[in-house]
Amino acid sequence: MALLEDLKSALGNNLLTRKEQLIPYRTDASYFQGNDPVAVALPDSVEQVSDTLKICQKYSVSVVVRGGGTSLTGSSIPLEDSIVLSMAKFDHILEVKPEDRYAIAEPGVRLDALNEYLSRFRHFYPPDPASSLAATVGGSISTNAGGLRAATYGTTRNWILGLEVVLPNGEVINVGGKVLKRTAGYDLTALFVGAEGTLGVITKAILKIWPLPEAKGRILAYYDEIGNVGRAISSMKARGITPEIAEFLDRITMDSLEKTRGMEFPERARYLLIVDIAAPRESLQRQLQDAAEVMKEFSPLDLRVTTDPQEMSRIYEARKGAYASLLSERSSMSERVVIGDIVVPASRLPEALKDSESKVNEHGLKVALFGHIADGNIHANIYADVSNREQMKKVDEFQIDFGRIALKYGGSVSAEHGIGIEKKELLEMEIRETGSPHVMELMKAIRKDFDPKGIMNRGKMFD
Amino acid sequence: MTDLLRQLEEEVGKCISCGFCESVCPTLPASGYDLWKGARGRVILGKELLNSMNMEGKPNLQLSDSFYSCLDCFACLQVCPAGVNAGVVSHLSRSILAGAKMKGSRNPYASMIVAATMKYMNPLGIHRGLGSWASGLKFSDRSENLLYTGNMYQLMAYTGKMNAMRSLMGDAMGRFMAAMASEIPSLVRISATQYDKDFKAKLDQSLRNIAELLARAGVNFSYMGDEEPYPGTFIYDLGYLEEFREYSAKVYRMLKKTGARRIITVDPHTYDLLRNAYPKYVKGFDLEVVFYTDLLDQSKLHSTGKNVAYHEPCHFVLRTDAYNRPLELLRSASEVKLPARSGKRNRCCGGPDELIFPDLSEKISNDRYAELEAIGADEIVTACPICLSNLSKKGKVSDISGLLLEAMKG
Repeated sequence: MALLEDLKSALGNNLLTRKEQLIPYRTDASYFQGNDPVAVALPDSVEQVSDTLKICQKYSVSVVVRGGGTSLTGSSIPLEDSIVLSMAKFDHILEVKPEDRYAIAEPGVRLDALNEYLSRFRHFYPPDPASSLAATVGGSISTNAGGLRAATYGTTRNWILGLEVVLPNGEVINVGGKVLKRTAGYDLTALFVGAEGTLGVITKAILKIWPLPEAKGRILAYYDEIGNVGRAISSMKARGITPEIAEFLDRITMDSLEKTRGMEFPERARYLLIVDIAAPRESLQRQLQDAAEVMKEFSPLDLRVTTDPQEMSRIYEARKGAYASLLSERSSMSERVVIGDIVVPASRLPEALKDSESKVNEHGLKVALFGHIADGNIHANIYADVSNREQMKKVDEFQIDFGRIALKYGGSVSAEHGIGIEKKELLEMEIRETGSPHVMELMKAIRKDFDPKGIMNRGKMFD
Repeated sequence: MTDLLRQLEEEVGKCISCGFCESVCPTLPASGYDLWKGARGRVILGKELLNSMNMEGKPNLQLSDSFYSCLDCFACLQVCPAGVNAGVVSHLSRSILAGAKMKGSRNPYASMIVAATMKYMNPLGIHRGLGSWASGLKFSDRSENLLYTGNMYQLMAYTGKMNAMRSLMGDAMGRFMAAMASEIPSLVRISATQYDKDFKAKLDQSLRNIAELLARAGVNFSYMGDEEPYPGTFIYDLGYLEEFREYSAKVYRMLKKTGARRIITVDPHTYDLLRNAYPKYVKGFDLEVVFYTDLLDQSKLHSTGKNVAYHEPCHFVLRTDAYNRPLELLRSASEVKLPARSGKRNRCCGGPDELIFPDLSEKISNDRYAELEAIGADEIVTACPICLSNLSKKGKVSDISGLLLEAMKG
């Protein structure tokens, strides 16, 4: 096969072709199963990335770029005869400059590893998807990942200063730079954020970093009514309190954490609201008290404040692993969890949460709800046998209705997981129903301009 | 086999494929990020193995390298939100492959090691001289306490030369020779003539230190000398469970024959095996198993004034029942500094891969040594002969027994 021969000569031992080695690349953290790739390229230099793309361009073969393989929408799995281009070997942190508030990292660096390193400088990189232990710099840029801290710091887009990118034709370009301000033509850096590997391959990223907060405390409050969870957060924000993190979990999620993490929650509680306050040491207690007072106004069953780092870390890790823990609550071995991801303005949360709960009941599905509530992000985790067409039809219908809830309140069908395979229809719906159909044409034109042969992540985002 | 398949189905069925395990698996970066040599890849391939066994009654892919390269360190379990243990998936899969008895489904080095151990009760086919470290020491003829080295310190003197021989032969020839030796186990004994004399002296001294520590603690104990059997760690770890059942029963009978009631182990692998695997495989297993540090009196230790970097053995800290006694004693004897990845985040030394995947093993040990060295302590210390051997390739590493003895002597 000429394609493989060319790749072999460009990549040498950095090319995997044995069937057994290819199988693990069929999947990511979503429920989708792709095909075995034709081969996996594991380049260790920008030149090898460029050569791989040139070869794939020559043979018009689809290229699927892979970071940590933590996508929840199937954006990193191969759908057809594809080459998987894994950026795992680009795993170095190249520079940290706290005085200029930036760090330069390669795309394969995992986010928790990056933050562990930055903590030596008393700084951090705020984007914090729940998958941060495994998610990479490149992958999280490509999905514009949000996460727990987005309530305060926003999503990945706010933290990318510049990029080195290899374009589909093999050309290497640099966009943005090391400065915190720049108004020099179109913001191409932002264009690559959330592009899901459709426009090029990121080989280096200049990231904005921030000093670590001095102190943190956590409030845990349990409620039996979902509207109150939303009202507590909206009210807090209306009074000028911005929690660093505000997460809610429902009973199914709590049950799964009891099973898999040995955690204990009050039996009567239907919802848990976790609020973190980050503040200067001197004012932490006062700010925690202010936030707790607001939460108490909405009839919590129980409320507790902690500043114990070990306890905080245990809860934080449990929340971050909640998606994977949920599988312990399935009713049969064939069930998987399909995750929905909408966002609404925070003030509309009480209604959106109520609507979501009604839709769950209407569709007769088993759904676990949790989410990053301070920025209006709700995740609906639907239990379904993905090989059962009838069930999956119901899941799809629910996803459409769930997306409509987002649009009804001025939100979006995809908050932080990207589009991938899963949300192509939802993306179309959002663009259609928000009254700007030309936007899709613009997106298609941009993609075509970057990738005229259509080799990059074919079949993902939109056709 | 049915039971193994059921267990495998249960373990892989819990996995949602989030990839958390992959981020802490030492073999993944060491393999150049080849996913089948990482924790998530092994769980995915465990599902493939299960499917092929259920559909065709036999493995249809050559998966052994994936499962045999797992270090069984259980780092993956510590971070899995769903409680999946990719180490257990690897062990079950190895056991299924070993049980399938099909050409190509097994690893030739594993077959060789198991064949030699079953024949000679020692992976290298040696016995004479394994008790020489104790030359001049006096033991009780019969005691309720038996000092059981399991030959683990002694065997470490041979691994370096064995791998040098393998490296000279190249991979294909090495596999061919291993396959031959699995049919003719006496061939393994050739490697028993080659050992590192200086390192042997260091290992022997560690065992002498342990014996002296116990004697100073007032423990009366016996020792089997050259007759002491290897505990069968490899047979179990490599998944040869039928053979392990037979072998462990034999070892148990030999240990019982000494009249001992309590077995004093000196390495974490034997300690773990005797405490956790033997009771499942040996009917009526009734021996108390301790680690030698259990019998030392912490209040008798004086500070040596040293500061040390301690590498914790995975079998002590990454198992469900973490065993921290060596660290507690070490803290009385010195100022201890731990690397960032320690405790439940511990990073393996790569040792368990040394015989089957020496290149992987070396990369992992080099990285771990670099982390320990960066601490800048007076000394790097560990409490496991495999860790000691593997980390010593890069620089000076000491066994904990020397420091403890120094602290006990005051």
